[in-house]
Amino acid sequence: MGAAAVGFEVPLWRGIAVFRAAALVHAVALMLQHLGRMEHPALAWGVTAVMAVWTAAAGYAYARPEWRCRPLMVADLAIAFACMLSTRLVGGAGYLDAAPPLTATWFAAAPLAAAVLGGRRWAVGAALGYGAADVLLRGAFGAPVLNGVVLLLLAGYAVGYMAHIAAEAEHRFARAVELEARTRERERLARSIHDSVLQVLAMVQRRGTALGGEAAELGRLAGEQEAALRGLIGREPSAAPGRPEAVDLCGRLEALASAAVTVSTPATEVSLPERCAAEVEAAVRAALANVDRHCPPGTRVWLLVEDEGGTVTVTVRDDGPGMPAGRAERAAADGRLGIAQSIRGRIRDLGGEVAITTAPGEGTEIEMRVPR
Amino acid sequence: MEHGGIRVMVVDDHPMWRDAVARDLGEAGLEVVATAGDGRTAVRVAPAARPTVAVLDLQLPDMSGVAVTRELLAQDPAPRVLILSASGEHQDVLDAVKAGATGYLVKSASSDELIAAVRRVHVGDAVFTPGLAGLVLGEYRRLAAAPRPAERTEAPRLTDRETEVLRLVAKGLTYKQIATRLILSHRTVQNHVQNTLNKLQLHNRVQLVRYAIDQGIDQGTDAEE
Repeated sequence: MGAAAVGFEVPLWRGIAVFRAAALVHAVALMLQHLGRMEHPALAWGVTAVMAVWTAAAGYAYARPEWRCRPLMVADLAIAFACMLSTRLVGGAGYLDAAPPLTATWFAAAPLAAAVLGGRRWAVGAALGYGAADVLLRGAFGAPVLNGVVLLLLAGYAVGYMAHIAAEAEHRFARAVELEARTRERERLARSIHDSVLQVLAMVQRRGTALGGEAAELGRLAGEQEAALRGLIGREPSAAPGRPEAVDLCGRLEALASAAVTVSTPATEVSLPERCAAEVEAAVRAALANVDRHCPPGTRVWLLVEDEGGTVTVTVRDDGPGMPAGRAERAAADGRLGIAQSIRGRIRDLGGEVAITTAPGEGTEIEMRVPR
Repeated sequence: MEHGGIRVMVVDDHPMWRDAVARDLGEAGLEVVATAGDGRTAVRVAPAARPTVAVLDLQLPDMSGVAVTRELLAQDPAPRVLILSASGEHQDVLDAVKAGATGYLVKSASSDELIAAVRRVHVGDAVFTPGLAGLVLGEYRRLAAAPRPAERTEAPRLTDRETEVLRLVAKGLTYKQIATRLILSHRTVQNHVQNTLNKLQLHNRVQLVRYAIDQGIDQGTDAEE
């Protein structure tokens, strides 16, 4: 888990290095104080020298991200345990009754490093290992052992947890930065597409239509591409802040714009729950498909989105030939359920209602009202 | 309006578009008195060229189309502003219209539509696309729903008839079709549409003046946000 983190861990390692150095001074002071009780004071100097060298080495090694790895951590723990256990050799049998182990608080640096590098489990393991070693040294389990273990457990667990949070925060931060970069890039692209490609496509459509014939067909294709591209870059597929399940209905319906389909919306978002917006979009698609199937080519469609606060109204109107009154009902009765099922059904499921107005020569208008 | 002559200024940063629009208008017998590739140039040359209609792209390199609209309309004599934009930037279109632009047309409109629009804007008619009608409808509803500072002006409201007409425009009906459906004269439909725009622009002006007074700025100085 520490692998991804780079920035937030640096102060943590610096803190551990400072702690190790300060704890070394503490251990030396304690050693000098208790030098008289030791069986082999010269050996004590030797152990202290090892601790001093390792303090410097560990400080150097942990400062390099590429050297921070399991072997270093294991070596750190091994040296800490070895120095601690050497107390038995140096001090002799009764030494620990009156004095702490040679490593004193210096020992804690290794479990802390393990907590950051290996996580909370290593910290807990090292603390329990310390307890076992202490019992081994003293030959009995008592209050001093318990104090040491509890302190190490608390410190190791806390530091490990903090490192975990830091790594997570850094990960999220990196994701946020990436997202922002993507948004910027998207905006840049949209601007540049708008300034170049869209202008040319709109121009081709305009001139082509004016020239007529085959050029008009090319113009129509260019117009379709222009509308599609504009729909693509026009709006962010945004989620309303704080309500991740709400989506902007306008953005979704604008994607349906083409040379034949004009989409009119308010300037502000019309946010609906995701499921609701998806159903409305599906109903609108069904209406458009219906126009495709039943109306002659060249039929135009207008889509209007209105936000009336309590309800959202989407109207799909075409200027096709329209239907005689009752035909939709007859179709439903005949078992051809096209419009009835996919539009009325979907909107009714949302608690809304559908009004279909049509007459021969007047086109068809489908008004869907959905409650918020 | 000198002798009814239509004098057009075309403002677009895309040379291809600028030339094509100017050519189409010229071929239709309209006088193109100036073209500009950016907002500052447009604002600078307008007093000398004295256009009656400015055909304005919203996306300009130096100023926002909204700011250009505002500055052009502050001149005397002020041209009428027709927004011609490929922009899907709804808020920009709405802001330009609230700032006083009289019409809006998308760039995919045919040259006949453009010429007709310029003629209508010249005589002071509002030119609405279904898209603009949808935006204006949405804006009225937003204003009605927005919590208002208590002592301030009422938000502008549409009459039922105006709402009805605007909805039909947004659904793609022509004025003629609307007139037939509602049994009104073409002119009455036009007036209803015009009113919806006037009220919105008036409200916007009142808001700007209020803002200027609140800020302790003299009305004569620049009251841009």
